[in-house]
Amino acid sequence: MRGTRKSFRLYLVALALFLAGTGYLLYAGFSEGSAYFLEVSEALAMPPEKLNAVKVFGTVRAEGLSREGQRVSFLLQDKNDPSVFLPASYAGTIPDGFKPGAELILDGSYEPRSKVFKAQSLITKCPSKYKKENRT
Amino acid sequence: MHLAGYFLLCACFLLALALAGACLLQLRGLFPDALRWAERGNALFTLCFTASCAVLIAALVRSDFSFVYVFSHTDRALGFFYRLTAFWAGQEGSLMFWAWTMALCGACFPLLRGYTTLPEEVKLWYWAFYGCVLAFFCLVLTAWSTPFQAFSPAPEDGNGLNPILQNPGMIFHPPLLLLGYGGFTIPGCLALACALSRELGNEGPSWAERTRPFILMAWLTLSAGIILGAWWSYMELGWGGYWAWDPVENASLVPWLAASAYLHTAVIEARRGKLLRVNVFLMALITVSAFFATYMVRGNVVQSLHAFGDSAAGLPLLLFVLLSLIVSAYVSLTAPAQSEPLADPLSREGLLACVAWVFLALGIMIVLATLWPVISKLWSAQSVGLTPAFYNRACLPLFTLLALLLCACPWLGWGGGLTHKFQAGAAALLFVLALVVFLVMGISKPLALVSAAAAVGVASSLCLYCGAVPGTLRLPRALAAHGVHLGFALMVLGVAFSGPYKQETTASLAPGNSVTLGGYTLRLDALEQNDSFVHDNPTPEAAQKARTAAGDMPRYIFVEAKLSAFLNGKPAGELRPQARIYAKRPEQISLESDTLFGMGTEVYATLHGLDDQNKAQLTLSLNPLVNWIWAGGILLSLFPFLGMAKRGRGDG
Repeated sequence: MRGTRKSFRLYLVALALFLAGTGYLLYAGFSEGSAYFLEVSEALAMPPEKLNAVKVFGTVRAEGLSREGQRVSFLLQDKNDPSVFLPASYAGTIPDGFKPGAELILDGSYEPRSKVFKAQSLITKCPSKYKKENRT
Repeated sequence: MHLAGYFLLCACFLLALALAGACLLQLRGLFPDALRWAERGNALFTLCFTASCAVLIAALVRSDFSFVYVFSHTDRALGFFYRLTAFWAGQEGSLMFWAWTMALCGACFPLLRGYTTLPEEVKLWYWAFYGCVLAFFCLVLTAWSTPFQAFSPAPEDGNGLNPILQNPGMIFHPPLLLLGYGGFTIPGCLALACALSRELGNEGPSWAERTRPFILMAWLTLSAGIILGAWWSYMELGWGGYWAWDPVENASLVPWLAASAYLHTAVIEARRGKLLRVNVFLMALITVSAFFATYMVRGNVVQSLHAFGDSAAGLPLLLFVLLSLIVSAYVSLTAPAQSEPLADPLSREGLLACVAWVFLALGIMIVLATLWPVISKLWSAQSVGLTPAFYNRACLPLFTLLALLLCACPWLGWGGGLTHKFQAGAAALLFVLALVVFLVMGISKPLALVSAAAAVGVASSLCLYCGAVPGTLRLPRALAAHGVHLGFALMVLGVAFSGPYKQETTASLAPGNSVTLGGYTLRLDALEQNDSFVHDNPTPEAAQKARTAAGDMPRYIFVEAKLSAFLNGKPAGELRPQARIYAKRPEQISLESDTLFGMGTEVYATLHGLDDQNKAQLTLSLNPLVNWIWAGGILLSLFPFLGMAKRGRGDG
């Protein structure tokens, strides 16, 4: 019986160690890898200084789209309210399917001085009429 | 034909309900001969369901565009093989395929000795659970997500299969996953049935032993499906990565983690007769987590790169998941089972239990992280999501911990203590040596360093163990486990290097220009095209051109970059990445990347298109040891076949 109790205690110790370790990993992960996931209207409603390293979802507006080599600037429009939009720019490889009306996921931060959202990464979502395991 | 298919599904729904109901009645003593009827009913169910699938397959083969499903996922230009595989290209079809694999497994099981020798009560409970699951599937397929929706009048041509799905990896990835999901249902239902009939831990073969072929087959197809998906993503999507921690990828990983946790606790039950109730719950959890994963990605719960259409099946799926979870937890908790407590944590038994903890912790973390944008809404006005950096920081170390546990496990006795002190010491020494060598080689990131050394540690531990206990090599089941673990070690090694040590650059090159990247020089020799390829903003004219091209010539127009690679000045090979515009998808450029295969460093090139001055827009990357992931994946998916062998003496 004593052996069982000792073994039980050892398991408690192992569990505590394990939980502490996972807790630390979660803490570290959260501080490195959490970001606001925002629609355009939500992003505009937030104080600009909080828009640091966020993910914004929206669609590309037809007007205001200009590209120069690997650099593109455009207006990102709210999915539900077309009257709300956010000026954005991106430099890098422009992926498949980037065009007016394309749904985008932008990672980056808002620059209050130029009032432009600078995207570090730009991903296009596939149009939802293709109900498949799409991604680009 | 739509109606025939649909009514067959309706008939299946009623049959499954009747099957479950009849068995429950017999259990209450109200319908004495229900079991015989249930067995026949199941055969009839499989027949009807297969016929219903045949209706859909026939429509796909005949390109019958009066089926909305056929219209949405195929077109006339698509080859026969791809038309057939469009069966699982959409949500309705993949749910149907999943149910079909379940039905086929369910039809095979009664023919096996594992079933015929079961006590009657267990059989009745088994059919009751199994019937409920089948009925739920048929309900979803008839009410919310039917593949038999009709168009009238039928369109001339279909939408076509998305080009990125036209790849061998993508053909086999979904059915393998679904086979895995489906295969776990049989053992899941039997485990619950045994728990309810007080059959846990009794004389005779356990439920796990009886359904062993299903368990192993499901695990290996699920593993192969996930690995094939990663390979497809690496080869086809043009970003040179294999895992993006996207909700859809996470969803397939969660049932796999639950299944892998179970495989380890199952060994404790088989060898030591412990953890009987835990195993029942884990087995049921695998199936439930597969449903939950489907809910997570199909129910529009979280934003994903994968755009699925709005699905009405979300809420029913969630309710079914909750109900199954409650039933499984209740049944396994209340099951009478006597077993000894576990031995010390520092025993083989204890380490196996710890391995299961780690797998489950990973599963829970991944589910929570995937749902974080939804959960965070509880206290935050804006949803907060987690980026791949979170997963890499929080989850990858646990995979490394698994590899470390695996280094130690062979050397511990079941009850505790070291079994082969000399070899165990040698294995520990090799681990430390690997650590030092990698450090000297310049691997300074702690996680990559420990992971790489652990991978070497696992491999050397396994070899030393087989040397110390030569009998292991004659036991197919032990050999299967060692093979799978070796595969896992190779994958850990591949991920440890290819993740943090990948080098990437983008370049805009005219023919004759070159770019250097980590010792490699890549020169653009020529650009070839089969038609005038309009640069990265396809115009209506380009679309028209693509359409005309599709008439008699190719289904797409392309531009191809001929790249020569040189390593330290010496020719290393040639790469030919393409960018294509498919006639049916003129608004989208499809990327066909190319690689220069290498077990050391693999060169990877993607052509995104041409710019205004006809310069090739390229992304080039060097991926160290990436092919070890696929090599390990192959071992991991093939070795379980050995484990299906009959149990040998002293085999685990």
